[in-house]
Amino acid sequence: MTAEVCGARCTSCGTVSYPRHAVCPACRGESFEAVPIGGTGRVLTYTDVYALAIDYETRYLRLAIVEFEDGTRAIGHLLDPAPSLGKRVRTTIGVVREPGEERIRGLQFVPA
Amino acid sequence: MRPVGIVGAAMTKFGRSETALVDLAALASLGALRDADLGEVPVDAIVVANMGAARLNRQTALASALVDRLCLYPAAAETVENGPASGASAVKVGVQAIASGMADVVLVTGVEKMRAVSNLEATDFVASLSHPDVEYIYGVTLPSLAGLFARLYMERYGVERRHLAMIAVKNHANAMKNPFAHIHQPITIEGILTAPEAVVNNPPIASPLHLFDCCPVSDGAASLVLAAGEIAERLGRPFVRVAGIGQATDTHAVHERSDPVDLVAVRRASERAFSMAGLTPGDVDVAELHDAFTILELAESEAAGFFPPGEAGPAVERGETSLTGRLPINPSGGLKAKGHPVGATGVAQLVELVWQLRGEAGERQVRDGGIGFACNFGGFGNNVVATVLRREDR
Repeated sequence: MTAEVCGARCTSCGTVSYPRHAVCPACRGESFEAVPIGGTGRVLTYTDVYALAIDYETRYLRLAIVEFEDGTRAIGHLLDPAPSLGKRVRTTIGVVREPGEERIRGLQFVPA
Repeated sequence: MRPVGIVGAAMTKFGRSETALVDLAALASLGALRDADLGEVPVDAIVVANMGAARLNRQTALASALVDRLCLYPAAAETVENGPASGASAVKVGVQAIASGMADVVLVTGVEKMRAVSNLEATDFVASLSHPDVEYIYGVTLPSLAGLFARLYMERYGVERRHLAMIAVKNHANAMKNPFAHIHQPITIEGILTAPEAVVNNPPIASPLHLFDCCPVSDGAASLVLAAGEIAERLGRPFVRVAGIGQATDTHAVHERSDPVDLVAVRRASERAFSMAGLTPGDVDVAELHDAFTILELAESEAAGFFPPGEAGPAVERGETSLTGRLPINPSGGLKAKGHPVGATGVAQLVELVWQLRGEAGERQVRDGGIGFACNFGGFGNNVVATVLRREDR
């Protein structure tokens, strides 16, 4: 099964980058393999966005930066009615944006 | 390197403008050229700073259009697009041209017309500078990146909403004394924070940031005339020298920084600018910082070296950054109240510093001083240009 949200693991030094770069930020290697991003982690910070971006019609959007156990981090939608800094969450994949007929899937975080 | 002076400065009133894009740029340019009073000295090159005309105004190649509107042919002309740091980047390009000897006089004009589109469209336009794969697709906008940044910064350094509100109150008060400012609306801590009606007056935008933590969407243009030091001296009037410029970059995605609330690019750009100028943050008399959000004025003032981490909030509370304080910050009203036509902002910051250093800032004039500092913050801190200006006293 191919993960829907992937980072890039450098085949030389093993550093995982998310987003991917053309070269490894640690060793400048140029060869990578895709690795899934997600798992469990902690909320590093979050925000409730009321001035919504185009394509959104909810009342607000709760975004978070989560730090996963392996140290990588990602922004995603925080689906937690009682968020707090440092709270443990786990990753799911769901629809994060719907421009027109398109449905873009990405990272969502729910209480662990 | 040849020394470079700023011999002319002007800007249009920021706000909503019915004037066409290139006419707006021409208005600021003609103001700066009049101020410079070059006589027979020709303009060798013009550099235009703009971020979004291709999308917002359906116009490209702005520098070619402006050189034509000003009848400055055969001057060299180019446009610089570097996100919200386009303005200071364009000034840097002009300074490099003169310092290298390739030009003697350069006109730098920043312009943006953002009110040509809806607020939603303008927000989406600016959000297009975020990382397309790992930020934009989640509905990330600049206010939301600022909200994520603010929550962590406030938690770590004990910054409270009232500290941010004090910055908004200060910058609105300064803008009241700036006829070029977009927003002329005095506000109080009560009105935006503590009174019951504050909930209505100051709704959340991206928590913990509220409406009065965010800059408006503006139209406007600002312009500088740069000249080689010997020409500036020959013009025979007091001028301001570009003493130092520093630029630094950081990761595109904010989450990828080893510490997402460490504004590394601000710190490095500032260090480089001060090093080039042979000065330190303690030498600065007046600063214009990129307060697209109140939290950024606070965080940049620490990263640029004016206050130790965590100390800017208390300094604001003590009035140290007000017009009469130890280090006045954003006497113009800042992006918060002067407005933020993105391509014009970095140029307008330097226009304000020139006026302040020449003692021409009217009611908002800070006490006499010779050193100014500006921070033009591109992306969400991933491309920052810092500039140090110094008045030439002869």
